[in-house]
Amino acid sequence: MLLNKPPKKAPSEIKPLGLYIHVPFCRSKCEYCDFYSLGGGLNHESMDLYLQAVLAHIKEASQRVVGYAVDTVYFGGGTPSFFDAQGLNRILAEIDRRFQLEKDAEITLEANPDSVTAQSLEKLRRAGFNRISIGVQCDEDVKLKALGRPHTYKQAQLAVSQARRAGFNNVSVDLMFGLPNQSREQWMSTLRNVLDLKPDHVSCYGLKVEPNTPLYEYKEGANLPDDDAQADMYFYAVETLESFGYQQYEISNFARPGFECRHNLKYWMGEPYLGFGPAASSDFGGKRFTAAANLDQYITGILEQGVILSECDTIPLRERAGEYLMLRLRTSVGIEENEYMQTFLLPFAPLEELLCMYEKRDLARKEETGRWRLTPKGFMVSNSILVQLLEAQQKSKPLAKIRGN
Amino acid sequence: MTDLSKLRNFSIVAHIDHGKSTLADRLLEACNTIDLREMEDQILDNMDLERERGITIKARAVRLNYQADDGEDYVLNLIDTPGHVDFNYEVSRSLTACEGAVLVVDASQGIEAQTLANTYLAIDAGLEVLPVINKIDLPAARPQEVKQEIEDVIGIPAMDAPEISAKNGINIHSVLELVVRDVPPPQGDRDAPLRALIFDSQYDSYRGVIVYLRVMDGMLTPGMDVRMMATGAEYKVVECGYLAPKGMIPCDGLGAGEVGYLTASIKTVSDTRVGDTVTGAANPAAEALPGYKAVQPMVYSGVYPADGSKYGDLRDALEKLKLNDASMSYVQENSIALGFGFRCGFLGLLHMEVILERLEREYNLDLITTAPNVVYQITKTDGSEIEVYTPLNYPDPAEIAEAREPFVKASIISPQEYVGNIMELCQQRRGEFKDMTYLDTTRVELHYEMPLNEIIYDFFDALKSRTRGYASLDYELLGYRPSKLVKLDILLNGEQVDALSFILFADSAYARARKTCVKLKENIPRQMFEIPVQAAIGGKVIARETIKALRKDVLAKCYGGDITRKKKLLEKQKEGKKRMRSFGTVSVPSEAFMAVLKLDDDD
Repeated sequence: MLLNKPPKKAPSEIKPLGLYIHVPFCRSKCEYCDFYSLGGGLNHESMDLYLQAVLAHIKEASQRVVGYAVDTVYFGGGTPSFFDAQGLNRILAEIDRRFQLEKDAEITLEANPDSVTAQSLEKLRRAGFNRISIGVQCDEDVKLKALGRPHTYKQAQLAVSQARRAGFNNVSVDLMFGLPNQSREQWMSTLRNVLDLKPDHVSCYGLKVEPNTPLYEYKEGANLPDDDAQADMYFYAVETLESFGYQQYEISNFARPGFECRHNLKYWMGEPYLGFGPAASSDFGGKRFTAAANLDQYITGILEQGVILSECDTIPLRERAGEYLMLRLRTSVGIEENEYMQTFLLPFAPLEELLCMYEKRDLARKEETGRWRLTPKGFMVSNSILVQLLEAQQKSKPLAKIRGN
Repeated sequence: MTDLSKLRNFSIVAHIDHGKSTLADRLLEACNTIDLREMEDQILDNMDLERERGITIKARAVRLNYQADDGEDYVLNLIDTPGHVDFNYEVSRSLTACEGAVLVVDASQGIEAQTLANTYLAIDAGLEVLPVINKIDLPAARPQEVKQEIEDVIGIPAMDAPEISAKNGINIHSVLELVVRDVPPPQGDRDAPLRALIFDSQYDSYRGVIVYLRVMDGMLTPGMDVRMMATGAEYKVVECGYLAPKGMIPCDGLGAGEVGYLTASIKTVSDTRVGDTVTGAANPAAEALPGYKAVQPMVYSGVYPADGSKYGDLRDALEKLKLNDASMSYVQENSIALGFGFRCGFLGLLHMEVILERLEREYNLDLITTAPNVVYQITKTDGSEIEVYTPLNYPDPAEIAEAREPFVKASIISPQEYVGNIMELCQQRRGEFKDMTYLDTTRVELHYEMPLNEIIYDFFDALKSRTRGYASLDYELLGYRPSKLVKLDILLNGEQVDALSFILFADSAYARARKTCVKLKENIPRQMFEIPVQAAIGGKVIARETIKALRKDVLAKCYGGDITRKKKLLEKQKEGKKRMRSFGTVSVPSEAFMAVLKLDDDD
């Protein structure tokens, strides 16, 4: 069951914690990517310094984290698989040594098809990685090339089967739709072909053209599907994946039952996590903080006790209430009246009034459990919905007394 | 006090962009009235808006001291004039304060529409018109041909016209000499009872209203009691003086022929109407100067703060603007859709645009404006008479016995090759052709009688685009005539938005309804559900468009590092929505209101 009960407040109890390791190296930078990564290929010197810094950072942070057990670890990027397996394993070993790492922890590696081999995958699996998320994106080599992806679809197929052979029994694939020149039919066939690989988990992202990316510069001439076409592709994906037994548990994420990504769910459930590496964010101890998106600054900061954070905010309860709506409504878990009122001491009625209106328009629905969630149609316009809900929330007055207390 | 024979009062008239303001700057410079380092381009246009639009909205005057080649010292009063048909009355009053007008004509462009219109205004006011050929240093300059054109078309001698470049300061001296030589010195009896013409006034928060005037007869001195002959208001003169570029210079008195200002602790410009005559309270003149008329707003529009909570700020801003602009009016209005706002009256569409822009800029307000309308007269079935200033008060059709709308006599001057285009346009706008006369072999003047309502929207723009900018327009009110009028209502998602209603001629309703629906569809962003946009007359829908439901507004990825960014994005989106007005569940941006104001007939 996805629904996690609100964390109990007993201080003696060990609380769960997620760790995120940002590995900012790539073979090359993709045309649409605005994540922090260095696309210049192998640079052993930087990579080595990075490794030293992350190891030191883990050691230092672990000393200040008491009463938590790590139950998810996620290596994201960049292209973590582009970093050599030995280095990744050293980071994981350091985590195991410094933190209380649960036996059944979910340990995910993001990987690109071109930077894994049967051997490296076996090494990683043996070291404890038990979930792999492979960036497949598309099944047409022409499109992959145009996006700047350094691999073919054949390599992607191979990577999936090699991961299986190496013993990964939790394999996820990333797909993108709304690509330049992509027709609905092409997307349909991509989905069908990728489902033949029998992944346990699928992420489908609508391409978003971000400023400061190469694609942004030529987006006008890129023949991008319009919003309506993207919406059609999305709804097709939701339908198809559901019919193949993949349940939608977040706007862009689908999984066979039991294969939902526990780490990512922490983000949407508002649970604590710590990030390592440049540009990595943490939400811990009531604060959300982010390391500077600058490898040199990160390395110097860690190794010479300098400044590594670019942002650090204490999030007051009132703002957490907004995050609750914004993040939970991304998921099929959704929101619930008593949970909301008791956590944030705010009235649910103004929100429910809007939710009822959305329900009439098939944008939201109230489950039998009493929880409200958005429908796929609602997910697709969730920004507009959130703006209205947040407005209503902002206007609402704190409750004087909680019902039932 | 300057001897009459040493006084010259003149203005500069020109087509837009022919260099009027630049020449004024050079004249000031040449008379050392102003230090070079203090020069800011186009000193006479001292509202930011004027400088940007390159138009003069409020008239100004300045005194120049000039020693002519004959060795004598002269006082030259340069009176600037606005240049738009909305302000024609102000132009004519400013010109009445002069004896001569320097006509600036671009050496490459030659005579254009406003050259003619302004020249005729000057000639009507009995002024000596002195042509000057400007931009002589441009490669395309053809001074001889342009001089010939002036002689042929306007019929005034132009062969000796100075050839100058105001921009580069060439031959400025000859313009000053021309003014001294050819502008007649003013006449006037300094012993007669005071008569001074108000050609402008301006509100100053320290001194009250500053009245700009030209003394025609008698003497104006500080301390004397004066009366405004039209409004009847009486004041004791605190100060009088003349206008230097750097500011006002007080003096002991202004005599007949002189141009200057007075202050008298006047609280509102409404007491000192342009065109009114100032006389002495103790020894009043028997008759006022001719030509005064009380300027009435011709166009009314609802003005609302985009953010309803800014109503008080809008009221304060209007109060302040009104101090300085007697021709504007405003009364409170209450719209169901937009809340509290004002119904404001303007001289014309440009006047309206200028005021709205000043409200937005100088008072930092975001405004929503409703479609402008004229004042309609209605005779109800019970025999009562009402005037309708706003569609909000338009009676139920069943209660209307007769509706009347104002008509104007429009006169259009244009090169003859555009006559066909003009006639077509006027016909579209319900114009009734009266006559056409040739001013010379190439230029014609057409007279039409047409509803004012057809002129206020975009007629001037349409006319200019159909005549490549050559036609000029003038109009005067003829009175009210019976008309077939209807009120068109707009419904969004089935709910009537009263602020989008407007009154129009019944036969135009269908086309206008369709265009309005299309414009709204284009300017209202897609929302979470489909929105029908309907136009209806008395409950009967005559046009419909549909704004399709928004299908994608989502952030596909939101992981640990994206949360802060995503929050900011939503915050921004929330701010954007705040700038929209909500009607039921529909959010309408203020651009949508603006878009329905500008319906292009060529679509």
